[in-house]
Amino acid sequence: MHSLGVLMSDVSGDTMAVDYRGSPTPLLKLGLKTTFLTIITLGIYRFWARARIRRYFWSALAPGGDALEYSGTGLEKFLGFLIAVAFLAFYLGLVQLGLFFAGLSMLSEAETQAQALAQIAGQYITLVAVLPLIFYAQYRGRRYILSRTRWRGLRFGVEKAALGYVWRGMWYSLITLVTLGLLLPRQLYLLEKYKVDRTWFGTGRFEQGGRWWVLYPAAKHVVIGLLLILLPIVILTLRPEPPVWAFVVLALGAVWLPVGIVYYVVHSFRILTGLKTLNGVIRFSSMPRTGKVIGLYLMGSIAASMIASIIATLLMAVAGGVLAAMPGGAVPLDFEAMLSGELPLDQATGFITLAGIALFYLVFIVLFSALALVFIRQPLLAHYAMETRILNTSGLRNITQRDRDEMVEAEGFADALDVGAGI
Amino acid sequence: MTKTDTETTHAPATFYDGQTPVSHVVSLAVSDDERLLQISGAGLGPEHYWPLDDIREHRDQALRQGAMFGCPKEGEARLTIHKPDTVAEMRAVCPNLTRSDVPSRTYRKLAFWGIGAVASVLLIVFVIIPALADRLAVLIPVEQEAALGRTVVTQMEGFFGAEQAGDLTCSSPAGDAALEKMVARLEAEVDSPYELDVRVLDVDMINAFAVPGGQVVLFRGLIGNATRPEMVAGVLAHEIGHVVNRDPTRLMLRAAGSAGIMGMLLGDFTGGTAILLVSEQLVSANYQQGAEEDADTFAHEVLAATGLPSAALGEFFRLVREKYGDVDGILSHLVSHPDLAGRAERAKEADVTASGDFTPVLSDAEWQALRGICGPEDG
Repeated sequence: MHSLGVLMSDVSGDTMAVDYRGSPTPLLKLGLKTTFLTIITLGIYRFWARARIRRYFWSALAPGGDALEYSGTGLEKFLGFLIAVAFLAFYLGLVQLGLFFAGLSMLSEAETQAQALAQIAGQYITLVAVLPLIFYAQYRGRRYILSRTRWRGLRFGVEKAALGYVWRGMWYSLITLVTLGLLLPRQLYLLEKYKVDRTWFGTGRFEQGGRWWVLYPAAKHVVIGLLLILLPIVILTLRPEPPVWAFVVLALGAVWLPVGIVYYVVHSFRILTGLKTLNGVIRFSSMPRTGKVIGLYLMGSIAASMIASIIATLLMAVAGGVLAAMPGGAVPLDFEAMLSGELPLDQATGFITLAGIALFYLVFIVLFSALALVFIRQPLLAHYAMETRILNTSGLRNITQRDRDEMVEAEGFADALDVGAGI
Repeated sequence: MTKTDTETTHAPATFYDGQTPVSHVVSLAVSDDERLLQISGAGLGPEHYWPLDDIREHRDQALRQGAMFGCPKEGEARLTIHKPDTVAEMRAVCPNLTRSDVPSRTYRKLAFWGIGAVASVLLIVFVIIPALADRLAVLIPVEQEAALGRTVVTQMEGFFGAEQAGDLTCSSPAGDAALEKMVARLEAEVDSPYELDVRVLDVDMINAFAVPGGQVVLFRGLIGNATRPEMVAGVLAHEIGHVVNRDPTRLMLRAAGSAGIMGMLLGDFTGGTAILLVSEQLVSANYQQGAEEDADTFAHEVLAATGLPSAALGEFFRLVREKYGDVDGILSHLVSHPDLAGRAERAKEADVTASGDFTPVLSDAEWQALRGICGPEDG
């Protein structure tokens, strides 16, 4: 990347690497425990699960050998969620009802096709009603997470500026929509800049450098992938007998596009990180690689799903064997009813089959969620950490503690709207 | 680590004072009275004293060796001990390492907002949305409802395999006349804001429903399985009840309003989809069951006024019960039309005609014509 070349020449003072200290076994144990508790509490434990896993990952990331610390708790997340639900139930209920009513009242005596279209459009109106909330929830969620993050005993913090983020997000989204996505990299850069420029570490402020067009180079393979898909489609619709190469190009595009999207994610991270500064002097560089990210993701997904399904199948086989060995012991009521003819045979076996499928699903989900942490999340995080450097760290000396940001509602809105951070 | 101030052991521990990001290598000692941990180091300035009772260990840490400690009363100051035996000593001398420091007012807040969230969801889903939907349903112009209803019927026909709108609608001169006669007799006793539009669809299911705007759809299977025309008339009276109460529009408004609220509660937790489906079904069934009861009562009244036996409607419920089974007990909250036996019983009780003593709704010939409205093979 050319941006790094520029950066490296600016380096003066010392450089800090980011260690990654996580290991598979403790994370696997934590993942199994928290997923299991989440399922048996019908999802209530998910707030505690999220907090504990974050605490683990934060403590595994150690810039300059000092681990990050996550001080958020499941309890405050749960409280924030309850607060958000109390408000959102009213907002969603009233807004959705109002929009549906408005849609119905405006429904004209048009062709059936047009009416169907109007109804589809009506569903997107609901999305528009929720979109400002989503931007709000994202900003507040980020503010909460950073307010609970410490490094070397100093707090991170984000300014209270969610409303400015909401209207900018809405406005940029509209522009992106009108330009058919051409200005999406601009939207992503400007929103990132808005967030980063309001982020602090202690008394040191972050700043996102660069201009609105810096992310376009990262999008090049997305553009190529889209062209490879669109070109054959145009040819296929225009010509009655399409040439074979059109299908080959289409298949190529179908692979190129997803790879291009990962390339964008990786390289936009590189570019944005390289252009960030802290307290005016501290700089960053991060060089994750697209191939490595795709490889880690694919290998991890295959490993996690294979191990999870093998173990779940083995468990099912054992359970089935036990059940077959002692009929009437495991499910006495059903078998008695079945033998006496009260319960039709197909219904009883159907019930057992259904219970078996549910059990398999549950075991698989618990295992897969835990294994995905170990085989996908952790290797990816480790790769990003190891490719990251903090430059000019002597500037850290001028930074001191900042005040605590209480944030009672935590990231409740993000949890309720399901737009929270990945981890 | 020893128990005297003077005899400090040099432990490989690092300390951050919570004010500056400067790392201090410190040595640790426990005070004589065994109540304080003394933290001292070059460059740290005056020693820090942490009460042993107030020291907490951080959970879920990735550090393979060593552990991180804090003291909530001392703010964000952090002590990281790298040597395993020093960690073990810390764990031995600090009694409350895992104690939770949640203030009791947090639990009060939790109770307050927990009740608030549940009350808010219940209020909006079961009180405000239904009430508002009922008010708004009346405000929608009849023509718009009719337009919506036509869309619904077209979609339904498409679902059952019609290539064009109207493909599945049955019609024969004698059948249409018979249907019209039946509708006219019932309609004479009804004050409806809509013009009734009853049609038969060529679908082999025992079912009938009202769609917005005064349209009623009967399936061929319903007419074919009915043993006498009064059963069809009873069902028709029930559906007209839905039409007059504007149920289809009200239920659509309610469903639109409550959509997503249950999903919000469950979030993305694994396995939540199944619970989500159940809870949304619970809400929609709750909405519908009330409407069904009202439509039944309405049908009983209209049938009594037209001098037709509502017991025939009861016979229809029993027919459905035989074909598809009934649902009672706790599961009945999950289905929109539970307790068919009870409904059949109530229909019989509401019957005001002495048995056999009524003017038949259709003659035998007309009844045969209605049964053959979709073609001769079903006659």
